[in-house]
Amino acid sequence: MSDMSVLQKACNTPAPTKLDLVLNGSLKSGAIEEESIEESSTVQDEPTTSQSVVKPFLATHLQDQDYTNKRFCYRHNPKVRCDKRTDETKMREIQTELEKLPRRDKEAITHVWSIFSAAPTQHRTLILQGLLSQCCFPQLSFISQEVSQLIKIDFIETLPSEISLKILCYLDCQSLCNAAQVSTKWKQLADDDRVWRYMCEQHIDRKCPQCGWGLPLMAVKKLQESSRRRKFDEIESDSAVEGHQPPLIEAKQEAKRPKTNKKRPWKAVYSERFTVERNWRKGLYKIKRFEGHMDGVLCCQYDNNNLLMTGSYDKTIKIWNVETGKLIRTLTGHTRGVRTLAFDDQKLITGGLDSTIKVWNYRTGQCISTYTGHEEGVVSVDFHEKLIVSGSADNTVKVWHVETRTCYTLRGHTDWVTCVKIHPKSNTLFSSSDDATVRMWDLNTNECIKVFGGVENNGHIGQVQCVVPFSLKDAIVTDFDDKLTDEGDNCGEQQEQSEEDQKFDNPDYPTHLLTASLDNTIKLWDLKSGKCVRTQFGHIEGVWSIAADTFRIVSGAHDKLIKVWDLQTGKCMHTFAGSSSPISCVALGDSRFVCGLEDGEVKMYCFDAQSL
Amino acid sequence: MTERKIIIITSDGDKFPVERKVAEKSILIKNMLKNLLPADDEEEDDEDADEPIEVPTQNVRSAVMKNILEWCDHYKDYNFPDDEQDDDSKKSAPIDAWDKNFLNVDQEMLYEIILAANYLNIKPLLNAGCKVVAEMIRGKSPEEIRKTFNIVNDFTPEEEAAIRRENEWAEDR
Repeated sequence: MSDMSVLQKACNTPAPTKLDLVLNGSLKSGAIEEESIEESSTVQDEPTTSQSVVKPFLATHLQDQDYTNKRFCYRHNPKVRCDKRTDETKMREIQTELEKLPRRDKEAITHVWSIFSAAPTQHRTLILQGLLSQCCFPQLSFISQEVSQLIKIDFIETLPSEISLKILCYLDCQSLCNAAQVSTKWKQLADDDRVWRYMCEQHIDRKCPQCGWGLPLMAVKKLQESSRRRKFDEIESDSAVEGHQPPLIEAKQEAKRPKTNKKRPWKAVYSERFTVERNWRKGLYKIKRFEGHMDGVLCCQYDNNNLLMTGSYDKTIKIWNVETGKLIRTLTGHTRGVRTLAFDDQKLITGGLDSTIKVWNYRTGQCISTYTGHEEGVVSVDFHEKLIVSGSADNTVKVWHVETRTCYTLRGHTDWVTCVKIHPKSNTLFSSSDDATVRMWDLNTNECIKVFGGVENNGHIGQVQCVVPFSLKDAIVTDFDDKLTDEGDNCGEQQEQSEEDQKFDNPDYPTHLLTASLDNTIKLWDLKSGKCVRTQFGHIEGVWSIAADTFRIVSGAHDKLIKVWDLQTGKCMHTFAGSSSPISCVALGDSRFVCGLEDGEVKMYCFDAQSL
Repeated sequence: MTERKIIIITSDGDKFPVERKVAEKSILIKNMLKNLLPADDEEEDDEDADEPIEVPTQNVRSAVMKNILEWCDHYKDYNFPDDEQDDDSKKSAPIDAWDKNFLNVDQEMLYEIILAANYLNIKPLLNAGCKVVAEMIRGKSPEEIRKTFNIVNDFTPEEEAAIRRENEWAEDR
């Protein structure tokens, strides 16, 4: 027992009272070879006057209170919490080994330990140096192995908590969840709201540069002013923050502030989105069907929450409650098929093959106004604030200023205008056409400022059905990436920046366009150069519709297939077959997408957990 | 104009003479010197200009200080960008190869370097140290983490099972 305690003291916090026991116990007739250090010899048989050396040494150092502070290294100081635990198995092994020795050897060895145990820090270092210098390589190797096993420190528990949190912030979510299962203390820190808030900031609505994962925003619990512009901040309204959340590091005291149970922890916010994203990646979904249209569905929009609207050849617009799947209202008024629609939280604007544009109060079902002017069917509409734009089978784009009641006609396309999109930030308009081109218009001057198309730009060879302008800061994979590395640096055409190019340096412009065409391809365009930089193959018949967000592209085509693509890489992630007829329109939300079919079916693919 | 000598004194009494720009990698020491030394152009005529300035660092022992100063010396001519601004890009950046090699030390030394970098306010070194510890945790199972850091599982089997279920969602991505 006393041998054990000596040993324990040698590597642990000394406790003077117990050492007295040692002194009175096994130390009485100890033998220590005091010259062994200088002589580099191993155990010698002759006992010398060790008793007279050992005892005073122990006595001095154990009793001298002034030494107390010096005796401990900073970690062995009782004032500092020591985190090195006694390895009981090891202690037992040592005890067993010791028992095998003759009594004198036992005493001798115990005395070495006692001396070391009683020695103040500086002396301990000296003793160790002496011992080490006697060791041969195999012994040093033994020490090296033992030491690497012994120096194990629970960083997370023993470091100041703000540093521990900082460390945890460098982890990925799976490692964090594993860390939370280690011990009580680790759980407390690895589940800390500040860590998960940081995780959310890193991943939600953006691709984390470190792990390549991005999570959907899923912030809209209520209808937004404009469903198209949502921000990360909006999540805060339904998450753990009360007021302003302090930055991670300086939030030490904040940790103690009372938690209100009403708020959701950031970890829950993260895990909910993570589950959705994983379902997207794995292609796990559940289908909801909306039944009611009597003819082909031509257009749809989903507000990312609970509202879905569809327009059909059957001349009606149907408004659906997404959760219940029930039809809320059917709007009638168009005299031919409803080819296009766009809504926000106040109004709905529709365009029909009857050449009219109608504005509706969809809550009452009332048609507020009807715009006539197009000579052929209205194929596409879009709006922003008090501006409505429309594309028509009469090959023109019309820009309707609602307040001033003026209308401009933009001419240039030589075939049906299939899709119009306003880019509010730069006050420009993009239009795609059956003439296989996309045009960019300046809404200040109503002039066409760029045409995207042509063989020289690797443009579409079939009718373009859909255009989506967007901005992406992250690197995007293009078809030239391989070529660039193959051919080295000489890509001459990119170096010469013509005046034309400089005109498109405007930071407000979108950086890219996505287009879908009846030539079976989806193309990605670089706005500045006006060239197609990536072509996505896979559909075997014309692509009627695409929708995209920060992470992915959904496409629906005449081949009855829906494909989901990774926006950044352009790789096809999933192909969803099983539709009974061609897909004429798609809409995309954070956790769901909707498709409308030529046979009148409307399906919603749900990737969120509740519905799985 | 000769620069006044700076001597850093460790907790165990060792003295390290250092260049000012090396010492000033520590914001703590930098601020301390700012107060002690008037602006450079005010040529002092007083006699103690030759006297070295002694900077005591009570919480850092000699062996650790030696490492810290090696780090500071390596980066003495490098200006770290302001920490707070683009924290984001740096957070996600992998550990600098030199730092990684430099911090390839035993856990105790790493522990003390982190504490010292925190105390001396050397942010880039603190960040690097934290990243190294994070790398030691990353990708390990709870049991592997316990093994790495010699941690006792203090959960009851029931608790452990509940916590595993609670964290299941992150597996298998």
